[in-house]
Amino acid sequence: MMTGMQRLAAAINGTESDRIPVFCNLLDQGAGALGMPLEEYYSRGECVAEAQLRMRDKYGHDNVWSLFYVGKEAELLGCRKILFASDGPPNVEEWVIKSLDDVQRLQVPSDVSSHPAFEEGLKCLRLLRQEVGGKYPICAYLTASMALPALLMGMEKWMELLFLGPAGVRDELLARCHEFFVKELLAYRNAGADVLVYSNPFGSTDIVPRKFFLEHSLPWIEKDVRAVGTPGLVYYCGMSRMNPVLATVLERTGIGVYYLGPFDDVREGKEILAGRALTCGVINDIRLIDWSREEIRREVKRIIEAGRPGGRFLFGTGVMPCGIPEANIRTMLEAAYEFGSDENGRIR
Amino acid sequence: MNLPQLITVFSEALFDTDRERALRLAREAVNEGITPEEVVFDVVIPALEQQTTALGETLELNLAQHFLTSQIAAAVTEEMVSRFQRAPAFIGQGVAGIPRFPRAPALTGRVVIGSAQGDLHTLGKRIVLSCLRAQMIECSDLGVNVPPERFVTEAVSQQAPVIAISAMMVHTALGENGCLKVRQLLKEQGLEGRIKIIVGGAPFRFDPQLCQRIQADAWAEDGIKAGKVITKLFQEVRP
Ligand code: B12
Repeated sequence: MMTGMQRLAAAINGTESDRIPVFCNLLDQGAGALGMPLEEYYSRGECVAEAQLRMRDKYGHDNVWSLFYVGKEAELLGCRKILFASDGPPNVEEWVIKSLDDVQRLQVPSDVSSHPAFEEGLKCLRLLRQEVGGKYPICAYLTASMALPALLMGMEKWMELLFLGPAGVRDELLARCHEFFVKELLAYRNAGADVLVYSNPFGSTDIVPRKFFLEHSLPWIEKDVRAVGTPGLVYYCGMSRMNPVLATVLERTGIGVYYLGPFDDVREGKEILAGRALTCGVINDIRLIDWSREEIRREVKRIIEAGRPGGRFLFGTGVMPCGIPEANIRTMLEAAYEFGSDENGRIR
Repeated sequence: MNLPQLITVFSEALFDTDRERALRLAREAVNEGITPEEVVFDVVIPALEQQTTALGETLELNLAQHFLTSQIAAAVTEEMVSRFQRAPAFIGQGVAGIPRFPRAPALTGRVVIGSAQGDLHTLGKRIVLSCLRAQMIECSDLGVNVPPERFVTEAVSQQAPVIAISAMMVHTALGENGCLKVRQLLKEQGLEGRIKIIVGGAPFRFDPQLCQRIQADAWAEDGIKAGKVITKLFQEVRP
């Protein structure tokens, strides 16, 4: 049997494999797997690693995560308050930037790896590497320069600053976020993360107008990518659509993997990428809460049938909500394994 | 400039998210004899509606535009309302204690709106608020992380026939301290016929069926549609 890493490599290189790679992004479910409250769970890197390994063993998907929750990035930049829930992802509770003057005061840590808020993450990465390094891709999550301010001041205030200015403050903040992004990415890469999910809702024309995308989002994306190189990078717009910008992003950045939104047409995405990059077809996982077994199977089949022909395809989920019943997770994964391989168990 | 011409140029200003131009057009129209009431009901509201019909159909319209146009429309409406000949009154009997002016433009009713308990996201709520205000629906903003009890006590004390709950995450949308609890409280207090619940936020756009699961009366996918659905809810409310 092939490992997740081999499947991913085969999909990227367009070579033979036993099935398509399947990414199932289970985060908060880890606390349940260990029977502990979320807050305690996320305070200990070894717990997160342990749960990631257990869940991968249990469900058989091809990736593990070093991400705790996205708000961690705000903690690295000075946030001291996170709101924990019992049944969903933790959220930033205190804005690091409360007024525009705070932009000047924003401190980018000189070394992310040695920052206390990174310690447990490092511990988790070390354990994952030790247990499944080279066998199963270890994923890390990185918020792009342009999206990071949303975690520091809230989406509302950031949209105001981004679109209405003052431009000087906006650019200063973007520059600091870029500096942080580069340091954070390198810290993850050094610690052994293989798949670096570059998350940027502002890289989708669902969120910003095309003109704005070309004049503002794209230059910052190029800057981010140029500074860190493309190895391991995955273009992801937070489940928003990306087909309208795929060709441009590929040509301008050379990123090799695109994690489409669930409302993107998978066939169209593949046509645009035309074998030049890996297409990831993504299920609308919020619907897994309610869908019947038949509905889940039909949807997985639809996505894989659209994406598999010609290879260079991966099936994946978003950040799976806790409310999805375990049986539905299994149904989805079993369908993905089934439709993602041939009867003789090999695909090209 | 006549009304149809004004609608066209105002829509363009809104589409270009040009706040100054939109405000200038509205002011000039009033100077030329178009009433502020006409500006709101015959220009701002239809123009705003046009924006969101396109949203989702073409990729050119998007969140940023929806945000900016809603802010501009709300600003124009606010300025026009201050110039109304008569104070706006509510139509319908749902809200007591507010004088009715027979020929005054109607405020269709009042809404209390907030983000669900455990939810700190504000952008969706802000857009909805602005759209509702632009559509002459009075709103009281309860802020973020609002406990279910507070939604109900505020709706009662402010005589608002509609509670609007915004949630950006699945667990705050479906959780036991969100809409489900608000429903239970309304039931317990015998308020179900008098107060309706509308929900919205990202999870509902990904899965509209969630709305039934949490026993909301309605949901809407954006600020403009929210105005329409809420207007319908006002009519369903028992006096
Ligand atoms: C931008 C974005 C981010 C940004 C900014 C987040 C922020 N602080 O606001 C970043 C990248 C930082 C981010 C992070 C996270 N995100 Co996010 N994000 C998005 C994205 C792409 C857009 C959200 C947004 O701002 N929309 C703009 C607002 C205006 O839209 P809206 O809230 O839907 O509101 C509109 C309508 O819904 C409606 N509406 C809203 N409220 C109401 C109320 C009523 C009464 C009515 C009628 C209508 C209505 O009108 C509004 C205007 O049209 C969505 C996916 C998507 N495409 O929608 C995911 C999404 C919201 N994120 C999600 C998640 C999970 C997260 C994280 C929790 C991940 C994690 N595990 O840490 C973090 C949380 C970070 C934190 N706060 O601490 C999930 C939530 C679903 C879930 N699984 O629970 C989503 C849906 C993605 C997904 N499908 O998985 N995210």
